[in-house]
Amino acid sequence: MKFSIFQESRTGKRKNNEDRIAHCYSRDALLMVVADGMGGHFYGEVAAQIAVQTLTGAFEREADPEIRDPFRFLHESMDNAHRAIFDFSIQHELSDSPRTTCVACLIQDSIAYWAHAGDSRMYLIRDGKVVVRTRDHSRVQLLMDQGVITRAQAARHPERNKVYSCLGGPQTPEIELSRKTPLRAGDMLALCSDGVWGPVRDETLAAALNGDDLADAVPALMDTAETNGGAHADNLSIIALRWETSYAEEASGTDGADSAVSTKGMPDDKITTRLDRFGRNPDYKSDLSEDDIERAIEEIRATIEKYTR
Amino acid sequence: MAQQANHALPAGFQLDEYRIERQLSLGGFSIVYLATDGEGKSVAIKEYLPNSLALRGEGEIRPLVTPDHAAAFRYGLKCFFEEGRALARLSHPNVVRVQNFFRANETVYIVMQYEQGCTLQEFAQKNREAMGETFIRSVFSKLLNGLREVHARKLLHLDLKPSNIYLRTDQTPVLIDFGAARQTLSSDTPMLKPMYTPGFASPEHYRQRELLGPWSDIYSIGASIYACLAGSAPQAADSRLKKDRLEPAMVRWEGKYSDQFLETIDWCLCLNHLYRPQSVFLLQKALNETVVPPDPRLSKSPSPTPGSGFGHFFERLRKKAFSQ
Repeated sequence: MKFSIFQESRTGKRKNNEDRIAHCYSRDALLMVVADGMGGHFYGEVAAQIAVQTLTGAFEREADPEIRDPFRFLHESMDNAHRAIFDFSIQHELSDSPRTTCVACLIQDSIAYWAHAGDSRMYLIRDGKVVVRTRDHSRVQLLMDQGVITRAQAARHPERNKVYSCLGGPQTPEIELSRKTPLRAGDMLALCSDGVWGPVRDETLAAALNGDDLADAVPALMDTAETNGGAHADNLSIIALRWETSYAEEASGTDGADSAVSTKGMPDDKITTRLDRFGRNPDYKSDLSEDDIERAIEEIRATIEKYTR
Repeated sequence: MAQQANHALPAGFQLDEYRIERQLSLGGFSIVYLATDGEGKSVAIKEYLPNSLALRGEGEIRPLVTPDHAAAFRYGLKCFFEEGRALARLSHPNVVRVQNFFRANETVYIVMQYEQGCTLQEFAQKNREAMGETFIRSVFSKLLNGLREVHARKLLHLDLKPSNIYLRTDQTPVLIDFGAARQTLSSDTPMLKPMYTPGFASPEHYRQRELLGPWSDIYSIGASIYACLAGSAPQAADSRLKKDRLEPAMVRWEGKYSDQFLETIDWCLCLNHLYRPQSVFLLQKALNETVVPPDPRLSKSPSPTPGSGFGHFFERLRKKAFSQ
């Protein structure tokens, strides 16, 4: 396998980054995951973290160096993440379960397989054009499909952030699987949260990623999205990948960019994982309001009451 | 720079429904008082008062927090809440019980059950001769019941030492002071310096905090047992990493205590966290093993001749246990 990859996550204008991203690869398989912890529910970033860790953890266990059944792998590990998040909320006696969207893509033998729940997206860009894109599990997407609203109306719709499928929460998520999609050399894949795709059009996104160097192209795209996002820019996260070998000519050594990763020389039991360390930013931590203090004290008192025999 | 010590609340002060009797201890992060509740029962009250961030002058009640320290003070408050949350969920005879949590004087207070007794540190200093193998095994084995409960809640104590182990008058141990306790899941980078006590803190405390785990508390347990035997804290882990001058328990007390007991101590005190008992359960199993400790009065005489009666029997038993 030969590919170039670049991932970046930004807080935007929010207090806290509730997005989580990771990718990992063995000699013959590559996994990318983007999870967008949902605001309005407690611990969105915990849900996203659990999702990302569950998927990368499963990859580390099962990539040997290939994944036996890619679709089963994606479905099972996303379902496990859903359960793990739900368990977390029970363990910590949260009144509401944290939730996250999730999109994950697995590539092996130059074939891409992906799955998603919610409105984090995956794009396949070929020759500078979007050829495949995941369909959001959102209310506005449904309304658009029914022809009730136009794309422009959707972008301003008050309920554009509402999703009907996510990991965590009491409902079983709808995990939508892609088709088996053979890749060609030069194909671009982008997995991103709505903080990135919301403020920029698909065409802009495709054009922006057409550059030679992902390490330049991705931050530039992020700058655009963040600027367009304005004063309340959401968390923005993206993993962008350029596939350097074609399904047809997997074996023949084509030349790609120097920064490309080649897994040819990797031993078959080695796995490389890139999962950035996240922490709440310190400003956010100290930002403990009077309400937070009162709530913390109430919570502790209730727990004492509960555990006192 | 010398740090100014905070002044404690005066005796007789009415704090919420409690009356302050006297100060029990003063730490860098808090003050602990002995107080009586409305029914006249004794309680211990811990007041959040970080020395470096909040200052209470003599005769004052409300601490002064300067604006540039306000953020850090509130962050510390979060840690104090974590301690409260951690303890509130623990109801175990070997872990101190929290009774109340409230806000007053612009800071917060944890009310804990007050136990009659003294810390293991005080006890060990006063009763050196009582520090026999059977006694230590029994105290720590009970204490580990409490620690198991703590670890089961995905918490680490992180500041275990003889002065944080309380012995009730009936000599049952209680784990106190969860000021350093942290949720193992949280990957927060603390703004306040992590708390630890040299000699008892594991090597991970100093260097790779991401490696902290049950084995780190287990190092501290080993160090506490070592300290009970030695009468002083063992060499600090950071200095051991540079040059390990800690005499293994196996060497230092050979013949005075059973080999199995001394080996267990050295096992806990391994610098490499992977070589230590990985769970409290494993350590407890080692401490609960029935080994007849050698009689200290006979310690000068050579070890029992091989093949002679019981000595031989236990020798075989031990070898068997280790070969498994």
